[in-house]
Order: sequence, then structure tokens, then C-alpha cells
Amino acid sequence: MFEPPFPTVLKPYGRALVELAAARPEILCLSGDLTKQCEVDLFQERFPERFIHAGMAEANMMSMAGALARQGFRPYVHTFGVFATRRPLDQVVNAIAYPALPVRLIGFMPGVSSPGGPSHQAIEDVALMRALPNMTVVDVGDSEEIAQVVPAIADLPGPVYLRLKRGEIPTVFEPAHRLSLSSVHTVAEGGDVLLVTSGMMLPVTLQAAATLREAGADVGVVHVPVIKPLDRAGVLGAARRAAAVVTVENHSIIGGLGSAVAEVLAEEGVAARLRRVGIADTFAEGAKSGPYLFEKYGLSTQHVVDAAWALLGRPGRPPKSRTQQADSGEYAPV
Amino acid sequence: MDLSSRISDPGTRWVVDDVASLATRIRLGAVQMVAPQGFGYLGQALSAAEQVASVFGHARPGLDRLVCSPGHYIVAPFAAAVQLGLMDEADLGRYGQDGSPIEAIGTEKSPVVDYTCGSLAQGLSAAVGFALGDRFHGSEARTYALLSDGEMQEGQLWEAAIFAAHHRLGTVTALLDANNSQVDGPIDTITTLDPIAAKWESFGWRAIDLDGHDTAAIGAALDQAARTTDRPTVLVCRTSTVHGLDCLPDDADGHFIKLPPDLAAAAVAELTERLEHQGV
Repeated sequence: MFEPPFPTVLKPYGRALVELAAARPEILCLSGDLTKQCEVDLFQERFPERFIHAGMAEANMMSMAGALARQGFRPYVHTFGVFATRRPLDQVVNAIAYPALPVRLIGFMPGVSSPGGPSHQAIEDVALMRALPNMTVVDVGDSEEIAQVVPAIADLPGPVYLRLKRGEIPTVFEPAHRLSLSSVHTVAEGGDVLLVTSGMMLPVTLQAAATLREAGADVGVVHVPVIKPLDRAGVLGAARRAAAVVTVENHSIIGGLGSAVAEVLAEEGVAARLRRVGIADTFAEGAKSGPYLFEKYGLSTQHVVDAAWALLGRPGRPPKSRTQQADSGEYAPV
Repeated sequence: MDLSSRISDPGTRWVVDDVASLATRIRLGAVQMVAPQGFGYLGQALSAAEQVASVFGHARPGLDRLVCSPGHYIVAPFAAAVQLGLMDEADLGRYGQDGSPIEAIGTEKSPVVDYTCGSLAQGLSAAVGFALGDRFHGSEARTYALLSDGEMQEGQLWEAAIFAAHHRLGTVTALLDANNSQVDGPIDTITTLDPIAAKWESFGWRAIDLDGHDTAAIGAALDQAARTTDRPTVLVCRTSTVHGLDCLPDDADGHFIKLPPDLAAAAVAELTERLEHQGV
């Protein structure tokens, strides 16, 4: 793994899709009027005959994608996370999830990584997609995993919701890292507290773990790129070694990673105490800068440190994290 | 103005002296709001300035309602509200800033308008709902709905159009900003919307196709709409996202205009000079 500050890569998803599509003529690219924003301007340039401008018509786009999949195509459907999940939910259910068709829904700008306010901030997309039978829900952690996940999901028989931050993406893992769709990735083992994270919260969680270790805590870190189906054994194995568990997600604390982990711990009778770091059952707001929203809505490194410290039961105030949430690149609503 | 108040709240007052100069002042205000960020929804104000100015010129303060369906157009009603004393001058500088209720994409917190939403094509349904409620209440309030042509791609717009015509909601007046602009480029390269007026007419609406930068034409159409009680009216306002600001570069992306400091200064100078010619 690289050390922070992590190097960044531009448009890793868009480049990976072009590479995959070069070998897979059945792949079609659908865009809901957010082509550059979803990095598929690269696909449009390279394969214009397989690029479909669906326009601002998400319901129609989802139902069309289902029909295309029935004819043997592999539709990759692109828009922001909110417009991929909450807006056309009924179409996703009936045209894609229920018939278990191999449509890939790619939802960009998760949680408060969008400055566009509640209408643009997908804070419950994982919850909605997790609740659908047949749906696989993926929230990868860095540019290396983005490059690997695009071919990795290509041949899954059912539908996939892939949640992605757009544009400039940090590289946390080295090229030798292998993304698994069936296993969680154990970054570190630890007996005092286990931090469980997914998606773009990986760097924040790693920084929090480093701060806690400097304060003497034995901290484990598990990264969960596939939230559904959840690697229950992987989560359980790590959680049973720890006295406490903290989940970290750029999503509502209801229905996402934290809920998924809580369900497993409760069902298996794991005694570890649990705290969920995430958006605390509230709508966020429009703003100018990412760090402002991550701080205000409880998603900073310090928030993770504080949550873990509270469970450790140690005397004194929680240690101060040295590094702040880094948000490089453009922060614009479109 | 209290940031929770709407133009339809009883007691709200404003006066529009001249619609054309208000349109210029909307452009100027929008430049001042977008400039601190260096990019933003200026093109929406440039294309909708005359429509928003005309609505404020026609709406009855403290009674009629304003719906801004595309939330990223909220910059234009905000700019008008500042010019008319409904918002503070200082609010121009708070637009889109961290912690500010003057958000760049309209939300529940947005002042002035009765309804706005950053998820597109939901505003006409809200306008229809307001009009229906006003009918139940026996109110004669009129609801003005700012729509964008791109929203015609969404099915919900047509659900609202069908319902409004069936129920003969003559108090609904939609101003459709037909600027042929969406994120991915000119709308007509992605979906064909024309004939726009004929679509609305076939749904049972009165449709008036006009130059959306011609304040006299908009004013006359709004008068016609107010006299039309048996069906809703839509003004199909043909516009451009770069209208009324000559200093913009030819390749400006009207959906999300870049406005570096030198260009912002040139824009302020150009619009200030025009206001002097307009005698305000």
C-alpha cells in the first residue's frame, strides 16, 4: 500500500471501461446527460456506435437497459448515484433486478462528494440497492480497484450497482493488489478496535487507524468493496478478534455498510460493541467545498478516531489526527 | 426578507419599474453571485433573465406563486429578489458558499420561491398541486412555473401536463426556457423536442411560441395567459444561454460557464454600462 498523501489518477473508470469494451463488443454505454461527469466521454469518442445518449430520462433509460440485456447486450448505465437509484427505483426493480438481468448501474458522486445539495447527494443509494433481491452492490476504495472492478463485474450473471467518486481518484493500493468480489480485504488485524470501511472513506479510515495506533491502540482495518453479497465470514473473523467495531461510510448510517455489518454481528452473536460513522440520518446541504461537508456531516478522520476512542474505554481525550480529509480536484455539482 | 419567506406570503411587496432593465440587473446580479467561485450557473440566468423579470413584473405580490422547477436556475430569482429588495445585497456574496442557505442548486431552504428542486422536472407537478390547492381554498392565486426545455425529456413533466389540462387549471402559467442547452450539449443533438408548442397544445394547453428575450412579447403572452381561464398556458420562450453578455468567449459552455476574475470584471463593466443606457 502507498502512504498518504496518496497519488491520484484521473478518470480511472472511464479508461477501464474503454479497455474492457475493446475486447467485448456486447458492451453498450448508456448516459443520462452526464457523459463527461461519468467519464464516458472516453467511451463515446472511442466507440460512438455503442454509445447511447438516453438524455435526462432515467426511468426510460433503465427499462431500455433491461430490454437490451435480454438481447444479449451488456448495458453499462451511467448517471449520478441519486438518478441511478432513487429516481428510477421502480424501473430498476421491475426491468432489471426482478428479471436478474446483467445490467451495470454506475452511480457517480456518492454521499457528500457532491456539493449539489440533497437532490444530488446519494446518501441512501446503497440502502436502496441492497434491499433489492439479485442486486450486487459494489463500493471500491481506490483507483487500482476501479481499474480492476470494471472487468471483474463484466461476467456476473445478475445486475450490479457500482458506486463511484468521479474524476481524480487516490491510489491507495499497489498494482499487485487483487480486488476480490467475494472476500473483504483485511488491511490490518487488531484486537482493540476494528475499523470497517468501503469506498472513498478508505483513506480517511487508514489515517484514523494510524492516529489510533500512535496512541497505543491495536487497530484492525477491513475494507469491504462488495457490500452485497457481504463476505460474512470475513467480517465475522475480523470482528471476533476485536473488542469493538467501527464502520465508516460516506452514506447514511441507515441501510448501508454499517447496517450490513450490524446485521451480521447481531445474527452471529458477536459481542463487540459497534459504532457507525456516517451521515447521521439527516439530509446534507449544498456547499462550495468537500472538506467542509465531510467535517460538518461527521466524516472526517477525527470523527473516526473519536468514535473508536469512545469504544476503547481509555482515559483521556482522543488523539488528534494529523492529516485532514484531502479532496483534490474540481468540486462542482455537474 | 426572512430567508424562509416566499413571494406569495401575505404582506410581501415589491415594485418593478422596468422589466427590461430588471433583466439586465438579473444578469449583473448573477455575474456577481457566480464570480467568487469562478464557474457556475450563469447561463441559466442569461437565458431566463427576461422571463424571470417578466414574472416579477406580472405576479401579484403576496398572492401569486413562483415555482422554479430546475433548481440550478434559482440564481435568476435570487438575483431578481436582491434587486427588488426581497433579499439582502449581501446575499449575492453568500451564494454557493460553505454554510450558506443561499445554495447554488435550489433546495427546501431556498428563499423567495414557493418551490424548487434540484432533481429535474418535478416543478410543474408542484405548480399543479399548488393550483389545485388554491382552487380548493377558493383562492384566485396564479402559479408561475419556470421550466427548462431539457426537463421535457423526463416523463414526469408530461404527467403534470396531462393532469393540469384535464382539470382545466387555468391559473397555471408555465414559462418554458427553450435554450436548447443541456449538460451533454445542444438538446436537439440528443433528443428532438420540436414542435414544442404543438406538443403542449395536443395535451390541452394554450401554447405561445415567442422570443424569450423580448420582454414586450413575454408581457403580452402573460396578459393572454391571465385571461385564459379554461386551460393552463405555456410560454415557449426561445432563448440562448449566452444572451445579453457580449464579453463571453464564443466557446462558452452555457450550462456551466467559467467566469475567471478578468472575465467577471468585463461582464460587470458591460452590464453596468447597459444599465446606464437603459436609464436606471
